[in-house]
Amino acid sequence: MIWTVMAVCIRRLLHNRTELLLTIVVPIVFFSIFALIFGGASSPGTTPEIKVIAVDTVGSPHSRRVLESLLQTRGFLFVDRLSVAQPPDAGQPDLSEREATAMVRRGAAALAIVLRRGDAGSVHAELLSDASDQVAPQVAAALVQRVLLMTGQTVPPATQTQPTVGRPSDQAAVVQAGGTSVVQADGAAISTAVPAFMPPAVEVIDIIGGDRHNPVISMYAAGIAVMFLLFGASGGGGALLEERENQTLDRLLTTGLTMDQLLLGKWCYLTLLGVVQTTIMFAWGQAAFGIDLLGHLDGFVIMTTVTAGAAAAFGLLLATLCRTRGQLNGLSVVAVLTMSALGGSMVPRYIMSPALRDAGLWTFNAWALDGYDKVFWRQLPVAELWPQMSVLMLSGAVFLVTARGLATRWETQ
Amino acid sequence: MTMDKGPSQTAASIAVAPPATSPTSPALNLASTRVALAGRQRAAASREVALRVDQLRKRYRQVAALRDVSFSLHAGERLALLGPNGAGKTTLIRCLAGRTKPDGGAIELLGERLPPSGGRERLGLVPQDIAIYGDLTAAENLTAFARFHGLRGAELRRRVEWALHWTGLADRSGELVSGFSGGMKRRVNLACGVMHSPRVLLLDEPTVGVDPQSRQRIFEMLNELRDGGTSILLTTHHLDEAEQRCDRIVIVDHGRVVADGSFEQLVRDSIGTSRHVRLRIDRPLVEPLPPWQLAGDNAARDGLQTRLDDVAGQLPQLLQGIAEAGYGVLSIEVHAPTLHDVFLHLTGQKLRD
Repeated sequence: MIWTVMAVCIRRLLHNRTELLLTIVVPIVFFSIFALIFGGASSPGTTPEIKVIAVDTVGSPHSRRVLESLLQTRGFLFVDRLSVAQPPDAGQPDLSEREATAMVRRGAAALAIVLRRGDAGSVHAELLSDASDQVAPQVAAALVQRVLLMTGQTVPPATQTQPTVGRPSDQAAVVQAGGTSVVQADGAAISTAVPAFMPPAVEVIDIIGGDRHNPVISMYAAGIAVMFLLFGASGGGGALLEERENQTLDRLLTTGLTMDQLLLGKWCYLTLLGVVQTTIMFAWGQAAFGIDLLGHLDGFVIMTTVTAGAAAAFGLLLATLCRTRGQLNGLSVVAVLTMSALGGSMVPRYIMSPALRDAGLWTFNAWALDGYDKVFWRQLPVAELWPQMSVLMLSGAVFLVTARGLATRWETQ
Repeated sequence: MTMDKGPSQTAASIAVAPPATSPTSPALNLASTRVALAGRQRAAASREVALRVDQLRKRYRQVAALRDVSFSLHAGERLALLGPNGAGKTTLIRCLAGRTKPDGGAIELLGERLPPSGGRERLGLVPQDIAIYGDLTAAENLTAFARFHGLRGAELRRRVEWALHWTGLADRSGELVSGFSGGMKRRVNLACGVMHSPRVLLLDEPTVGVDPQSRQRIFEMLNELRDGGTSILLTTHHLDEAEQRCDRIVIVDHGRVVADGSFEQLVRDSIGTSRHVRLRIDRPLVEPLPPWQLAGDNAARDGLQTRLDDVAGQLPQLLQGIAEAGYGVLSIEVHAPTLHDVFLHLTGQKLRD
């Protein structure tokens, strides 16, 4: 008897291609995506490239050597290299450094490496970073520190700046290797005629986070919101298929209602529902997790409206692609989860390889998240949202027009 | 005299019985009903044509769903489109409703030629499926479909109120349709198709899957519509519905119109005056009784059946012949032809399911 029950279940599964797809194929697809994200497409041991901009405020032969070494460092992808021909005017912010700061704020670079003159002709580095990327500053600091060491840069203990990057035991080993005082194996010093050296300090300065203590909350809020906008829109599109299956669509189209009006009406409803859903989520985020929704209302409204519109159109497109609700369920799960993984709704895109990051740009999750990032984290003006708005609005229009074209086959047979 | 091919419904007495009644329908005063039908038919012949179908054709790949289908629906008439599953009834309804584009032919609604789609404001459609929103209340469904049909304001509210009383669901207007019985859902389904007071109403299998009581209620509702001037075209494969509830019958099979007329006309044109006669005698017949070709009744060895072209003239001769052979007649049943007999005669096969 038990075996008969099992056999019936197995046969039903084998006859149901949608369920087979969800059971067998989707986990493989997901595993592959995450393997690519975390395993990387490149060979083991390589450092993922970080988009940086370098500013040399010193202009000395040594700083130029440091800059050239940085340019050749694997792991850095230089967006731009700025030099200062003359020292900045007193009281006036350096133009090049200001440009670099703006680029980091806009997200054009993950961080800016600023070489400054230190005491006794030394050169030290400041990393102007975005605290939402928790990986790049640490990796960049290590690479910069290595470059400074390789170009012969060390800092006397008295002039060492804080904070120092690196483990204390590493620093001790460097002191032993680079300094002129010799330390015996038993730890007793033989000569202290020359002061010990300290590794060059690399200071990491967060130019965006300020006093915000948790940079990732707004990003996760946006990521989850976009993913559920897609699921909601797919569900709404399913209602269209149900109407078709039970002949309600036939009945509707014999009234004065046209297919254009029907699709537009559903799109407006799904968009409105998505806006409400996201607003409630962010309102909760403000109440429970401190997201500053009210302080960024204009950007939030714009991004939420265009994202919800694009998601609604995508849901209708999926519905018109399918013939049954079962087909839609399978297709929407695969599509939404894949887009969410690639687009950064599940894991931050900054930990992905460049190839995967580029692939993510084919999902509107990535564009939506970039937009929310600009609103809530970078706090850029609304005008800076035009790339994201353009892509999302264009996507929505294309999806809607395509859905309308596909729905033509439902109008008359 | 012809050999009977199959049993028909049973009659009630030894005399020529009135037409058989379906075991599931209430008792009807069929004589008066037939007079009324005849009256409406005469009136229909002089009325305007509400819907005209002319040489309609539709093919799906290798299958010809409709082959030069032509018929007319007169104003105030109730026409049954009868045929087995796969005959083309639903395809025809979809063409009339503008949901399927025919490959050829013409459709005229109230004298105006209809395009393949659109232009159906004076047409109402009640699909076979329950095509309403289960997660809306009865009132909300009626309101929604009234709005889709263009009704607004006071007129909309009036029609919704009328529909709730017409369906007998006024006291349940605020309940979700998903909680209704099948018959109640069918009534709401019907009402949603007439909110805009159509001149012609198309119904695809309006009583499928409902109990006899609900079926009776639905036809009472259709009577009210017809009395209000709505012409009705309904598809069915229930013979009793077509025979007893409709003014005229169009029989469709394999995409063609096989017959078109009132029940009496169809009988006259197909079977004619012949009738099926069944007798019970006092003992099994041991040898043939010429010139009568009597077949054994499978029900009993002492049961016989035959078909007489002239019951009034030939039945006394048959009884005399049996008596002269030494047999006693215990009972006689004379069966009036039914629509099933007509269909069998016209198509050469039983009504497929």
